[in-house]
Amino acid sequence: MNQETAEGLEEESSILIWLTGLAFVAAMAAIFLFVPTEKTEGPIQRIMYLHIPSAWLSFFAFFIVFISSILFLWKKEREWDIYAYASAEIGVIFCSLVLITGPIWAKPIWGTWWVWDARLTSTLILWLIYVAYLMLRAQTDPGSMRARYAAVLGIVGFLNIPFIHFSVLWWRTFHPQPKVISSEGFGKGMDPSMLATLGISLGAFTLLYFLLMGQRVRQEKLKDEIDRLKREKLYSS
Amino acid sequence: MDNFGFLFAANAFVWGGIIYFIYTLKQRNRELEKDVELLKEAISKESR
Repeated sequence: MNQETAEGLEEESSILIWLTGLAFVAAMAAIFLFVPTEKTEGPIQRIMYLHIPSAWLSFFAFFIVFISSILFLWKKEREWDIYAYASAEIGVIFCSLVLITGPIWAKPIWGTWWVWDARLTSTLILWLIYVAYLMLRAQTDPGSMRARYAAVLGIVGFLNIPFIHFSVLWWRTFHPQPKVISSEGFGKGMDPSMLATLGISLGAFTLLYFLLMGQRVRQEKLKDEIDRLKREKLYSS
Repeated sequence: MDNFGFLFAANAFVWGGIIYFIYTLKQRNRELEKDVELLKEAISKESR
């Protein structure tokens, strides 16, 4: 990486940091100051503005794993393997936050932390698949075989996501049905101020994904650079 | 129904998780950048 490219990336990164920061300030203001308190659930319902965006971010991250894994198997370029690995890690972190905030929201509303219904169980399975993905990458020797096995798991794991989305429609579940993309039309099942707040929060989390991806991809590239320099040092001595 | 404790706990987990992840990412990147610099220095010393 030459000096000019590095400086350009630094500049892009700082713009993204500011944008993400501002988006989160706007999201927090909307969540705690703008949006009215929901009548039946009370203030606890505000967890929704963190729970749904975390779920969106994790699904988006796993979608990037899916696309990058297909492109890796097709083109055999290390770049796509890096994107898949970086995105999987981010996806697992936000999927963990979904599995933590969900029960915290459920306890006062449903009276229980967890039920083995289709939505919750399939989300837990998704999390386990991508934790297995990260374990596979951590426990096997670096090389094209590791990347290939991981790519296959990354693709198979994503197939669970449509199942998670439709699970609340196919089975009777504790988990509420979709409110944003519902059978009544986009956002029809929600109050406009709630929809706007959710939109701001979704935007902030999406920006955060790109910010984290930039840092995580940079980390993998630095690791590759270290390996290359170590080899160079070995041959030169 | 208030349940502010649950709302606080959910926020604490989300913000704590995000901040911790960003902190570890930044720290690891800094360490790796230092390693790259040290290796480059060592190689240039050896080639002299």
